[in-house]
Amino acid sequence: MQPVEPALKAHGVTRKFGHRTVLHDVSLAVSGGDFLMLVGHNGAGKTTLIRVLAGLLKPTAGTVQRSGATGMVAHSSMLYDALTARENLAFHGRLHGLNDAALVQRILEQMGLAPHGDRRVATFSRGMVQRLSIGRALLSDPEVLLLDEPFTGLDDAAAVIVREVLQDLEQRRRAVVVATHQLVEVVDLATSVGFLVGGRLAAIEPVAGRDAHAVMARYRELAANA
Amino acid sequence: MPSFWSAALAIAAKDMKIEWRTKTAFASAIVFAVLVLAVFYFARDPTAVGALDIAPGALWVTFTFAAMLGLNRAFMLESENRAMDGLMLAPISPSAIFVGKFLGNLAFVGVVEAVSLPLFILFYDLPIVGQLPALVGVIAMATVAFVAVGTLLSSMVVRTRFAELMLPILLLPFLIPPIVGAVQLTSRILSGRPLSDLAGWLKLLASFDIIFVILCFFLFEATLEE
Repeated sequence: MQPVEPALKAHGVTRKFGHRTVLHDVSLAVSGGDFLMLVGHNGAGKTTLIRVLAGLLKPTAGTVQRSGATGMVAHSSMLYDALTARENLAFHGRLHGLNDAALVQRILEQMGLAPHGDRRVATFSRGMVQRLSIGRALLSDPEVLLLDEPFTGLDDAAAVIVREVLQDLEQRRRAVVVATHQLVEVVDLATSVGFLVGGRLAAIEPVAGRDAHAVMARYRELAANA
Repeated sequence: MPSFWSAALAIAAKDMKIEWRTKTAFASAIVFAVLVLAVFYFARDPTAVGALDIAPGALWVTFTFAAMLGLNRAFMLESENRAMDGLMLAPISPSAIFVGKFLGNLAFVGVVEAVSLPLFILFYDLPIVGQLPALVGVIAMATVAFVAVGTLLSSMVVRTRFAELMLPILLLPFLIPPIVGAVQLTSRILSGRPLSDLAGWLKLLASFDIIFVILCFFLFEATLEE
């Protein structure tokens, strides 16, 4: 059997900002159906790693290879406040060569935003913006989805919607990388966990039935030995 | 994957839609243009300075600074909510982003000029019906040059702390050649000089258009790197 080519592969990635090294020699590979959860304290380099993996930042050293379309959800929504939810999705769809009003409507429905499709984003709550941002990232049905704190600002009902989206992605064998502090939301979905300590990927291990407390205990152990 | 032009036109259309809806830069630019034209008009002593002596300078001071308000706004739109990341994640060429922003800016400046020009003719009581096509041609040529440089520099300064201050400081030195050419041509057109008198300046202005547009097109990608 032919080995499966990873959908996303980083090799020896180092990223510096001036003299400050934020990522040190990070290597990872994520294939379709993999769900990698990135764990790390504030400043550990999670956001920088996600941006490098997305291609928004060039690594100072090392390489990143992506096999297909990449979607990303970041701290910022990448949406235009003056446009409606529908207009935002339609615009991003056009940038991906998709001029499809039905697709936009389906994404609005999937994210629970169909009744608000014609409202300007400026009038949305933080949680609604976050859901729309996730919808934007799903528009092109990407092979790789990178999410940086996707549960920020979400109430329980919205968090359920996002978890359903992540489950659906996993079932459709998309490669998913999630950086989050809210481990409890994704630990049962994740297939592996990457521990980022001071910009180094200290370990990538299977989740293997561990809960959020066990994952954090392992993180503290790795951080103490770093 | 969208074609180069469909991506560029989608970006330009999005910018125009947002400006049409908010009218923030447009309203400021028009108020500014009217104010400058009025100040120049009332500052002139008609017994000492002829309208034709001051009109070309007044016109280009008005156009240049009014346009700068729009150019400043162009990439501010993309920095709000880090919308620029959304453009960079799309499978489109950075040059398509430049062309889209350039076309959006061109439309904005064109509308500001179209509103200001009749006011200018009215204030200075210029009998220029016969020369109007030539004047409009010169305005279009100079506008292409300064909007191209303005679009490039606007994308560079948007990540700086004092973007609105930095743009004029960086842009004005580049504008000197095309604006001097435009002032000279405007002066000759308003004086009713023959077309043969304009050829040298027209060639110069056309050269600036070609050089600036090509250079900015190729340099734009470098401004996107963090």
